[in-house]
Amino acid sequence: MAILDHSAFEIAKKVQRGELTAVDVLTAALDHVAAVDGRPGTLDGGALSEEDQAKVHAFITLTEKRARRQAEAIDERIRTGENVGPLAGVPITIKDIYCVKDTPTTAASRILANFVAPYTATPVERLEAAGAVTLGKVNLDEFTYGSSTESSAFQPSTRNPWDPARVPGGSSGGSTAAVAAREGCLSLGTDTAGSIRQPAAFCGVVGLKPTYGRVSRYGLIAFGSSLDCPGPVARDVRDAALMLSVMAGADPRDSTAATLPVPNYLDGIDRGVKGMRIGLSPDYMHINFPDPDTGDILSQSLPDEIRAATLRAAETLAAQGAEIIENVSMPNSAYGIPVYFVISRVEAASNLHRFDGVKYGYRTPSEFRDLHEMYRKTRAEGFGLQPKLRILMGMYVSAAQYSEHYYQRALKVRSMIRSDFETAFDPGGPYQLDALLTPTTPTTAFKIADIYGDSVLMQYADQFTVPANHAGVPAISIPGGLSSEGLPIGIHLIAPDFAETTLFRAGYAFEGATADADWRKVKPRVLLQAGL
Amino acid sequence: MSEYEAVIGLETHIQLNTTTKIFCGCKADSWEEPPNSNICPVCAGLPGVLPVLNEQAVRKGALLGAAMQAEIRLRSFFDRKNYFYPDLPKGYQISQFDQALASGGYLDLPMPDGASRRVNITKLHLEEDAGKTKYEGGLRYVDFNRCGVPLVEMVTEPDLRSADEAAQYLIRLRQLLRWLGISEADMEKGHLRCDANVSIRPVGSRDLFTKTEIKNVNSIEAVRAAINMEIQRQIALVEGGGRVEAWTLDWDDAHNRLKKMRSKETEADYRYFKEPDLLPLVLSEDWRAEVLESLPELPLERRTRFMIKYGLPEYDADILTGDRPLSNYFEAALEVYGGDPKVLSNWIMNDVLRMLNELGISADKLSLKPGHLAGVIKMVDKGAINAPTGKSLLVKVQESGKPPEDIVAAEGLAQVSDDSALIQVIDELLAANPDEVASYRGGKEGLFGWFMGQVMRETRGQADPGRTRELLMNALKGEG
Amino acid sequence: MSDEITPELFTKLVDLAAFAFDPTEAAYLRQELNNQLKAIHQLEGVPLSNDVPPAAHGVTYTSESRPPLRQDHWGPCENPDEILAQAPQSEARYFVVPDIPHTELD
Repeated sequence: MAILDHSAFEIAKKVQRGELTAVDVLTAALDHVAAVDGRPGTLDGGALSEEDQAKVHAFITLTEKRARRQAEAIDERIRTGENVGPLAGVPITIKDIYCVKDTPTTAASRILANFVAPYTATPVERLEAAGAVTLGKVNLDEFTYGSSTESSAFQPSTRNPWDPARVPGGSSGGSTAAVAAREGCLSLGTDTAGSIRQPAAFCGVVGLKPTYGRVSRYGLIAFGSSLDCPGPVARDVRDAALMLSVMAGADPRDSTAATLPVPNYLDGIDRGVKGMRIGLSPDYMHINFPDPDTGDILSQSLPDEIRAATLRAAETLAAQGAEIIENVSMPNSAYGIPVYFVISRVEAASNLHRFDGVKYGYRTPSEFRDLHEMYRKTRAEGFGLQPKLRILMGMYVSAAQYSEHYYQRALKVRSMIRSDFETAFDPGGPYQLDALLTPTTPTTAFKIADIYGDSVLMQYADQFTVPANHAGVPAISIPGGLSSEGLPIGIHLIAPDFAETTLFRAGYAFEGATADADWRKVKPRVLLQAGL
Repeated sequence: MSEYEAVIGLETHIQLNTTTKIFCGCKADSWEEPPNSNICPVCAGLPGVLPVLNEQAVRKGALLGAAMQAEIRLRSFFDRKNYFYPDLPKGYQISQFDQALASGGYLDLPMPDGASRRVNITKLHLEEDAGKTKYEGGLRYVDFNRCGVPLVEMVTEPDLRSADEAAQYLIRLRQLLRWLGISEADMEKGHLRCDANVSIRPVGSRDLFTKTEIKNVNSIEAVRAAINMEIQRQIALVEGGGRVEAWTLDWDDAHNRLKKMRSKETEADYRYFKEPDLLPLVLSEDWRAEVLESLPELPLERRTRFMIKYGLPEYDADILTGDRPLSNYFEAALEVYGGDPKVLSNWIMNDVLRMLNELGISADKLSLKPGHLAGVIKMVDKGAINAPTGKSLLVKVQESGKPPEDIVAAEGLAQVSDDSALIQVIDELLAANPDEVASYRGGKEGLFGWFMGQVMRETRGQADPGRTRELLMNALKGEG
Repeated sequence: MSDEITPELFTKLVDLAAFAFDPTEAAYLRQELNNQLKAIHQLEGVPLSNDVPPAAHGVTYTSESRPPLRQDHWGPCENPDEILAQAPQSEARYFVVPDIPHTELD
């Protein structure tokens, strides 16, 4: 078995026991990257060659020298009998939205293309302190704005390893593609409307959005400050649990990081789902989408394969002893996208004010008469389309005369979305659920350039995932099967505040019950083509 | 007498004297530091940073609110105020908009005729300071050292009616801030900044008319001068048939004039929304009670008490309660002295204050302790030393730190009141100066002063002046 | 049917956001914003009773999960010069920017 076919959990054990060196693992990972990734995304990437079109392009910056130093340090500590941490030697990638000291931290934007972070984000610090070896920074939608990674200013943007003519999803497309293509074992992503879970579903890997405040946001370049969650991307549930155990917990540098103790998420992960109450909601079993002509929001049924995969997952869990509760009413989840259009844009517009050419990053090289002209040109040239759209919308719906109508109203509807979950999970309520089961996405991975340009349709890719962001509750996407086109389908579990343990147990049980399924034997095309 | 009255409101920004900035661990005071040395990713507005609220800033802000009789909210919120400016690194200022730390409040300003003017407070909230820019050669140079320093913004209702009242308000505010120990409140250093809103209206009217805003006044005198000038300008304008427009005016201190900056018709839209990176500020009843209990007797309260309890004139009470250490000093000295408070007051207002000014320190830093002062005054009262000796003794105590009684003993400074000693000195003096004696006896009575001076010199200033005068008079008359 | 964000309003927003667009980009962006607004308008149909609170965060913080306020202890940054080093233009330890346009009318 190739080194990288092992899970992070297993690699760490082998490195701790001296069966593998961290440098061995790193070498294997770098060889692998060389085989499947192709050229990294760059500004002005130019036309794509045929070879380009067959590669993954997960990376923006490969930090090889740094990784080597890290790996060598770990091996040295093992030699001298020191403790090396639960992720010893595990190769990981970091979504390029996190500051990592002395590495380019671009947010996949021209406006930060030359920014070298002078400090490291807390989750990254914790992962590296636990022995993880960072291969580099991976691609994303510009400033995490998108659901396909296509909006990155660093092209070629990431391709789906299952079919490189398709998107990996977004915004953490680089993270999920890297993990799916075995470029490292784990990746650190962010989830604001589903940006970990949706690409995880598209790429056939595990992606967790922890409870808001479970993991510190310090060092995460902000999009939606009340929505952003750092989270793990892994190939299996146990690895995601391991990664969360390392990253989670209070941080004096983040006033919104909860001070609740962090459980060892691996403890009892194999407890199974006997007696677990898992709900299904009709409100999540149909798709809302904008009419291309009128813009009205219409409803249609889920694609059969996605419905089938979700119901099969319910049956599988039931066979393991879970109790399935149907017809759980979640009436306000349908407003998730409109609410998101308002709240996230207000926060984004404000968060992006700081990119003005004064302190860091891009400043227009063209002539300018005065400060205002410098601001305008810098921002117009430095930002891509997606930031521009979000900033403009944010300005509009938070303007003094419209704020009450749009922003304040959206905050109230958010309360209602949250209260649906509180009712669903209320131990004395009508459903008394431990978790809610839904499909992760309304479709499988779509083709590159198919949707990009229609900002509303693109946003609706997140309709099942975004309610959990509004409510703050944790949610996980795990591989649930393959479509007839051979594309991954994700199933999605949502749990109450700080109940990640429930998600891990249910996910682990599902994995165990489907361990021998045929669809688990299929590898992504990119790997097959590389003979891996 | 003008038919118009002035309507003035003041907006002040107060720099709190915490150790660190409001949202990060950089120093709050970096007055002397090289530019951009007292910065960190948080206050420099780097991507990915988050604010973490300083407990002391909340405490000091609450203390000020309590001293202003405002209600301290148990649950308050921070808001983002969004705009572009190079000294604002995040492109927004974290401030408080509608549910601030304190609500309501007022200051009762003593007026010259004994009345008082209630100045109501319309806003009292916490916020972060911006950096500093300086202009040079067509470019702006930006320093973020000051970015993130905790500020309290306090805005009054337009309750003030003259430039003098506005100046008084600032004087009282400055006194209060130093009294509470929450700000150095030095206007020249920017610890206390002020913008004035000025309008006029016909006497008797209760309406509010268009106001102008005066910025960049960096001293109390500048506030006074600028407001006076603006009132005159508005009156002249209106009397000439013109209309006041909502200008922003910049005070040019070098040339003593106001320059128009920009019109204020279009208010910037700051798109306030609750700061999502901070949780609501939740204070417990206990915490609030503790802050209220820690409020000391406030300067105006103490001033009134000194007048009533010690029978001191307003003038004295005002000076003695000018700052808290001085007023503490007075009461501590009075406790040991036990005599007439007015006597003590005179000594402090004359000699001790002069000493404090020369040394540039506050009363709690004197080596001349309250008990020492009391001791000196008692000795003078008793006649053990004379007043001039007493005054010089204060300096000696301050310089040596030794108790005055010890110094008197060691240097033999005791007043010479002993008749025989004085008579001896006088006799020797008259014997040595027969011509002067003859002149005096011949009618030159002005020479008496010279004789007194000589006795004082001989006794190294320690002769009891009263007794000396009597004995000398006798001796010169020939009744020795 | 008139667009909610008219070209005039769009221009104001562009100004507020410190941007500048050519006509093609402007037209596309304005169109997308108006499309998004159609989705946003769904919120008007949501029945909201008076006591629904606005939720700044989804998760409820309790005394157990809420971090304490920061103690007032100096903790200097290790590398402030690395921050200054990121400046697009700097001189004598200052960040340098062009002058702000003044409208000094008199």
